[in-house]
Amino acid sequence: MNINSDLIRGHIDTVILNLLADGDKYGYQISKIISSQTAGEYEINEATLYSSLKRLERDKAITSYWGDETQGGRRKYYKITEDGRKVLSQNKLDWEFAKKIISKLI
Amino acid sequence: MNNKLKSHLDNIFSPYTDLNNVKELKEELYSDLLERFDELKAAGMDDSTAFEQTINSIGEIDQTLQEIANLSRPKDKTLLTNFSAFDLKKSDLAGVMAHNGEFNASNLRDADFLGADLTGSSFKASDARGANFAGANLTRCVFKASDAKDANFKGANLTGCTFKVSDARNGNFDGANLTDCSFDTLDLTGASFNRAILVRTGFTKVAMKDAKFSDIALTDVNLIMSDIRKATFERCSFTGVDFKYSDLAGMSLEGQTFIGVKFDGAGLKDVSFRSATLRNVSFRSLFSVKNRCYKAIKTLCFDGAKIDKLTYALLKSYNAVLDNVRLLDKV
Repeated sequence: MNINSDLIRGHIDTVILNLLADGDKYGYQISKIISSQTAGEYEINEATLYSSLKRLERDKAITSYWGDETQGGRRKYYKITEDGRKVLSQNKLDWEFAKKIISKLI
Repeated sequence: MNNKLKSHLDNIFSPYTDLNNVKELKEELYSDLLERFDELKAAGMDDSTAFEQTINSIGEIDQTLQEIANLSRPKDKTLLTNFSAFDLKKSDLAGVMAHNGEFNASNLRDADFLGADLTGSSFKASDARGANFAGANLTRCVFKASDAKDANFKGANLTGCTFKVSDARNGNFDGANLTDCSFDTLDLTGASFNRAILVRTGFTKVAMKDAKFSDIALTDVNLIMSDIRKATFERCSFTGVDFKYSDLAGMSLEGQTFIGVKFDGAGLKDVSFRSATLRNVSFRSLFSVKNRCYKAIKTLCFDGAKIDKLTYALLKSYNAVLDNVRLLDKV
């Protein structure tokens, strides 16, 4: 990881909501998409991933259900809720605003 | 390999086994890691490299677990606060909140206080053998004349805590926050302090046979008048640490860093500082038995050590053996 990960970590809830807005996913699937979409430049570790997922679940922005895999371990899928979609669109607006302001300042 | 992954997770999750949502996370994590491992193997990686990389992908999970453990318990579960002389043997008190609780002379054998908030509580003369305080908040708690043998304080917050005249043998303090904590006249035989936070922690008249300290930055810690001989320190740094009047005879402190450390009047026979870094370290003998101290200084090993000029001059004046020592530049 060669970029400042703290900056990114502050937006990880939004990143995860955005990925779940495209369809339900399980934990490792999310981390794979994050690393492939950033061409491996950012990798999320399990600790960061799950602390975000559990936080979002507590805040009712996402829900979860167990899949019915037969081989390997069971997988838990996460699904964005209506509340989660609202949070996501608000966060996107906030980000656009912050991006505009920050780029004017630094 | 599945078993190896499983046992690694068992280890990480061991303090939280009773909580359902943590159990579920363990299952999720296991299938994630298994998939990652299989993918790395499919990409041509050998077993041990793939395993290591898989394990590394977990990151700092302790805090996440703590957060999740806290989520599962209502925070407002306040208990009565006076439990003095109660029999709470094997009780499940995980996640309870009992500020300034009194557990004096209580039977707490194997009781479970996992993640509990016990700020300011008193455990005088209690029997807390085998009790589980993992992840608990024990800020300013007092254990006096109590028996806490085999107790688990893993990841607990023990800021400003006092342990006095107690038995804390085999205590597990791994990852615990021991800032401003005081251990006075205590038996810490076999206790473990892996990755604990030791800032201004005081150890006075403590028995530490087989106690383990690893990966710790000890800052302004006092280890005074204690028998440290059979304790082990690995990958630690010592800043402002005071070993006054303690016995360190025969210890290996190899490769570790000592800044502003005082060994005044300490027993130092055959201590090895091989490849260690020493800056502003004081070896003064406070007694008038200076000859004994001089003799002990000659048995110290500084092979390959890096020492600042001042400390070097001091050691030289004591006739320490300083062949193969490198002088440190100024800070």
